[in-house]
Order: sequence, then C-alpha cells, then structure tokens
Amino acid sequence: MSRKPKQIAIYGKGGIGKSTTTSNISAALVEAGYKVMQFGCDPKADSTTTLRGGEYIPSVLDLLAEKRRVDAREAVFKGFGGIYCVEAGGPAPGVGCAGRGIITAVELLKQQRIFEDLDLDYVIYDVLGDVVCGGFAVPVREGIAEHVFTVSSADFMAIYAANNLFRGIEKFSSSGGALLGGIIANSINTDFQRDIIEDFAKRTSTPIVQYVPRSLTVTQAELSGKTTIEAAPQSEQADVYRALARHIAEHETSKVPTPLSQVELREWSASWAEHIVRMERADRERARAVA
Amino acid sequence: MNVVSQISTDTSSSFAAQPGPIEQVRYACALGALTSVIAVEGAIPITHCGPGCASKQFHALSGISGYQGGEFHVPSTNIGNKEVIFGGADRLDELITSTLKVMEAELYVVQSGCIPGLVGDDVENLVKGYQRRGVPIVFAETLGYRGTNFTGHETVVKAIIEQYVAKQPAVPKRTGLVNVWALLPYQNPFWRGDLTEIRRILEGIGLEVNILFGPASEGLSEWRAIPSAAVNLVLGPWLGLSIARDLEAAYDQTTLHIPALPVGARATAAFLRKVGDHAGLDRRKVDAFIAREEKTYYHYLRDFAQFYAGCTSQYRLPSEVNIVADSAYALAVAKFLVGDLGLNPGVVVITENPPESERAAIRAAFRDLAPGIDADPLFESDGHKAHAAIRAHPRVGELPIVFGSTWETGIAGEIDAPLVEISYPVTDEVVLSRSYIGYRGALQLIERTYTTVVRQSTEENPEGTAL
Repeated sequence: MSRKPKQIAIYGKGGIGKSTTTSNISAALVEAGYKVMQFGCDPKADSTTTLRGGEYIPSVLDLLAEKRRVDAREAVFKGFGGIYCVEAGGPAPGVGCAGRGIITAVELLKQQRIFEDLDLDYVIYDVLGDVVCGGFAVPVREGIAEHVFTVSSADFMAIYAANNLFRGIEKFSSSGGALLGGIIANSINTDFQRDIIEDFAKRTSTPIVQYVPRSLTVTQAELSGKTTIEAAPQSEQADVYRALARHIAEHETSKVPTPLSQVELREWSASWAEHIVRMERADRERARAVA
Repeated sequence: MNVVSQISTDTSSSFAAQPGPIEQVRYACALGALTSVIAVEGAIPITHCGPGCASKQFHALSGISGYQGGEFHVPSTNIGNKEVIFGGADRLDELITSTLKVMEAELYVVQSGCIPGLVGDDVENLVKGYQRRGVPIVFAETLGYRGTNFTGHETVVKAIIEQYVAKQPAVPKRTGLVNVWALLPYQNPFWRGDLTEIRRILEGIGLEVNILFGPASEGLSEWRAIPSAAVNLVLGPWLGLSIARDLEAAYDQTTLHIPALPVGARATAAFLRKVGDHAGLDRRKVDAFIAREEKTYYHYLRDFAQFYAGCTSQYRLPSEVNIVADSAYALAVAKFLVGDLGLNPGVVVITENPPESERAAIRAAFRDLAPGIDADPLFESDGHKAHAAIRAHPRVGELPIVFGSTWETGIAGEIDAPLVEISYPVTDEVVLSRSYIGYRGALQLIERTYTTVVRQSTEENPEGTAL
C-alpha cells in the first residue's frame, strides 16, 4: 500500500547553508529509520553531493535533454543511508528558463508516481534562493509540499529573501498551497545575531524551529564530501541537526505567513542598522576610555 | 538582443495592450506581421515560435479577411517544453541551415514569437552569424506580447531596412521616386487593389513608385531602391510614420504624411496635387492627369446621380454613416461618405488600438469631414463596447448604414442598417483585386454600398417597390 509522504520544502538565500542544512536533515531522518528523498531544485544540481561522497548525479533535465521520453526512475540515486537523491537540474547559465525546468522535473516525478512507488516517509525539496519566478514557487503550490521552512542567517539580505518567500507562500495559501513551518536560524553565534533574527520572527509571527551555530565541523565534513551526521556523528553539531530533524518530523501545523511590506522591511532594517552603528560607536568610545 | 535595445524599440515603447478582455478580436499579434513578409515578392519568413503560432496568424489574417489566400510556405521551429527549458537557439540554427538548403528566396526574415522572448534566446546574434557569411537574412523580434500585427509590421519593415536594404551597394538618388507606406497587407482585405490604384495614380502624375508590397510591387528590387527615393509618402493616420522618420534620417529623404487615404475625385485630386508639389512635379502635368481621370469618374457619377437623386422615392437611402474599422479606412470612408456623398457622421469606432501618442492626431483628422461637420472617433478594440456605442447613439429621422467587419452583422440588423464590410474580419466578401481607394476604388465603393442598400430593401420587401 502506498501512502502519501510528508513533503517539505526548504528555501533560503543562495550561499546561506541551505543544501548543507537540508542534507543533514535528510541524513538525520534516515538515521532515525525513515525513508527519505532529497530533491534538489537548483540548476546547479549540487544539493545532494554531500549525501553521495561529493559526487554529482545526472539530473532529471539532463535526461530530458537527451531524449523525449524519460523514465524518472533513472534520475533517482541512492545516497547515504539509502536516501533517494534527485536533482532537477536546468539549462546552462544564461539560456533557457530554469523555472520551467524545475516545474517540468517536479511534474515528471509526480506524474510517474515515484514518491508513492518508493513508499517514502519524507520528500525534502531544497530550492534555490529567492522565489524569483513561478518555476521556483512550484514546490509551494498546490499538491506538492505541505510545509515550508526557510534557512536564514541574521544577514539582512538573507532576511529579505525569507520575507520574499513568505510573500510567495501567502499568495498561494488561499489556493491550497504549502504553509510556513518556520525559520531555521543558521550561522547564529552571537546574541546580537540572535536578537535580529528573533525580532524578524516576532514581527512576522513566525516560529524559529532551530538555531544552528556556525561550526568548523560542518566545513570539515563538507570538504570531505559528507554531511556532519555522516562525518562526525558524535559531534555536538550533529546533535543540533538531529534535533532540527526531530522538530521537522514532529511538525504538524504550518500557517499562513504574515510578511512585512517592502516599506516595513526597509524601516525595520534601517532601525537595526542605526542600532548597530550606535553600539559600535559605544564600543569604540569604551575602548578609548580604557586606553 | 539585449534588454536596453528591446525597451528602446519605438514600436514597443508605444504599444500598450488594451486593458481587460476583448470580445471579437480585430487584429492579430506581432508575429502576424509574417504576412507582411509574405506580401513581399521574394521574401520568406522563418518563424521561431510554438507550434501553430505561425499558421494560425497567417490563416486568421488571410482567410477571414476576404479569403485572400496566399503563399504560406513558412518554416517554423515549433518549439516546445524542451526548448523553453534549455533555450531554442540551437533548434533555430538547425532550422535556418535546413531552410537555406531547401527553400530558395531573395530574403529570409527570421521572426521570433513569445517563447524565445520569454526565455531570452539570443536570436539576434545567431542571425548575425548568418549575415556575416553573406546570407540575405534579417531578424525581427515580433514577440506576441509586445505588440499587434500593426506594430509587428513596423518592426519587420525596419528590420529589413536596417539589416538588408542598408547593406546593399549604394544607389544613386532618383528625384521622382517615392516610397509608399500605406495599408497593412492582409489586415486590410482590399490592400492589393488599393496599392495597385495608389501606384497607378502616382505613376499617372509622373512619379516612380516603390509600392513595396503585393502584386503591384516588383518585390525586393523595389526594397533595394528605397534609399534612392526622394520622398517617403505615409498614407494613413499613423502606420509607417516611424519607418519614414527613420528613413528620413538615414537617407536624406523627406516625409510627406497624408492621414486620409484619398477616396473619390475631390480627395484624390487634392492628394495628387499635394504629392506633386512636394516632389516638385510640373503642376500642368499633374492637372492633366487629374482632368483625364475626372472625365471618366464624373461620367459615372453623373449617371449614378439619377439613382442617387431620383430613386429615393423607391429606396430608403441611408443618411447616417457608422464605421467600425482600423483608423486608415475609418478616416478614408468617413471623409468620402460625409464629404462627398453628404451623409451625416454617426458613431465612428477605431479598432486597431493605435499608439497613444498618435491618437490626438487621429482625432483631429476627423474634424471637418465636410465643412463644419466633425466626427468624434471612439478608440475601442472590444466589439461589445463598439456595438453598445452604436446602439446607444440617438438617431432621430436618420437612416443608418454601417461600414465595418463581419462582427457588425448583428448590430447592423438591430438598427436596421445595411452593412458594408470594409474591415477585419471579413467573411461575407470574397476579395481579389477590388479597391475602394482613388478614382476607380471610389466607384467600386459606391457600387458596393448601394448594391447592399438595394439588396437589403428588396429582401425586406420581396413583393416590389417599397415606400
């Protein structure tokens, strides 16, 4: 009997640690005994490399570029702990339409009932950066993912991207699209960074599912082509990812986000910027006084 | 094509889609300008668009526009999902290469449609590669969402001028040579006959003519002679004006803009004198031609007068003219029906969504159709609204007639008016060489108009004379 897997989409600004986080969630879930698929939705097709010892896999669209009829199973590869790895792929930079590529890849797996046939517990979509066009919004539209999480640091640009994502989710929420599960606060090492991301979460009434500190363990694992769960299973950082995976596994109810408007967002970041300047000045004056 | 040059293209900056849905369409999309290429003897379009785009545009414009038919041999990339994702430039490259092998033409015009525009195919660079190899090929970006077949026509014409005509060996100036930018081929069901008549009368006063499109044209040899001309004659309210302005700058030519296509002896004589003076022709020669033409024209008109004046007791001759048409024909017909035949202007609806920048001038052209008699045209592409305006128009003691498209059959019936089909789409007329312009065209317009009036009257009263 096939059942419907729980489908989760993870978004965030490029370079924020989205694929690292997603791969570690997948690894932690598979370690906990679940059947998991990780679906990379980025033309770079590098979401699942740390699940496969640093190795790239052919993407759904690579297959489509070669032949008209594609068996989507040919694009499914097993990775760490039996995780099913899929990359949507896309055109070469500067040509074609990557958004349409994502739509086609997701539709293809859906049409060919791959999720049901593999009897999955979780499908985790790792989606490129901003919701720049309709294609990248596909995982949040009706009938794909149910829950969306965003990876964000305390960096303003990352928060802008998160807020844009909230707007995308809000738009589709009335037509049966995915809802917002919460923020995964990444690279949060200081109280100050924590204050910023917490304030944004409060303003948008969004829960923070987990704080993930920046850690050398992660970098070392990445460099060896592995997730932290695989490379350093005993580490503190691995436990952080396990906790995150647990929260996501247990997560039941997502909600319609309440994004800030363009103006509100600008005012909000400006007020924080002023605050930062004031604090730095105070620090400098204190340093001078001591001298 | 980079973004900046796309945005700065004249036609795109002046084009704005009619807001909201349109009932009963009266024009095609920019890709439909492939009919302008087909109208040039020796040129073929190569279309880079989705399946069906090219053939639908052609058949819509040639079939339901007086059943004009025509040579539709148009290679197309027929792009689909794969080309959307990965880009379609390779597919187009393949198609151009194959086309060059199997289709002979003096000029190939690559036209891109919506999809390549959306996904950003670099068609311009691809075509430039062929140009560098000496292939007579040009690229026109006729993205469907960037304009209508009117603006697409200007895009195509400019592409041919800039990328083909300009590359030809320099040609000496010919003072008596005129480039004519008039009706939109295929969109106007009578364009072939009209361009033939325009050529005839211009040659009649002693000019040489590049008519450029249709059976009266000599094809691409005329296009290559465009730079030789002294004058660009823009005949119509706005279409072709921006082409003429470009040419003016490039080839030291002058532009003569005459908004109203001349219908009938009065307008045609005035038109010919104006063109003759502008081109510096001997006025006596011009007048001599006019006199010859008028002799024939007024002979017919004198005889027609017996019907027009005497038979009003038998037939209810219309007194109020209502028009639903492109601005070119709307203005031409309004001037003739009001100015020459003495009808009152009713509702005039202009349907081709002309650029905002040209509307004030179009409106102004409808003033003084006859001394002191103005029409106030309504710019409306939506059939429902056009018909509502005709329905709502107060008519006391007037017998209306409608000049419009087949879409106007219903509203004409409602107000008990005969309908003369002059504008797109036309499905109740088969049109070959008929013209409604100039001397000969005016006589045919009178024939068609009053045949329609008489027929309607006899259909309503089959037993015999009414009234």
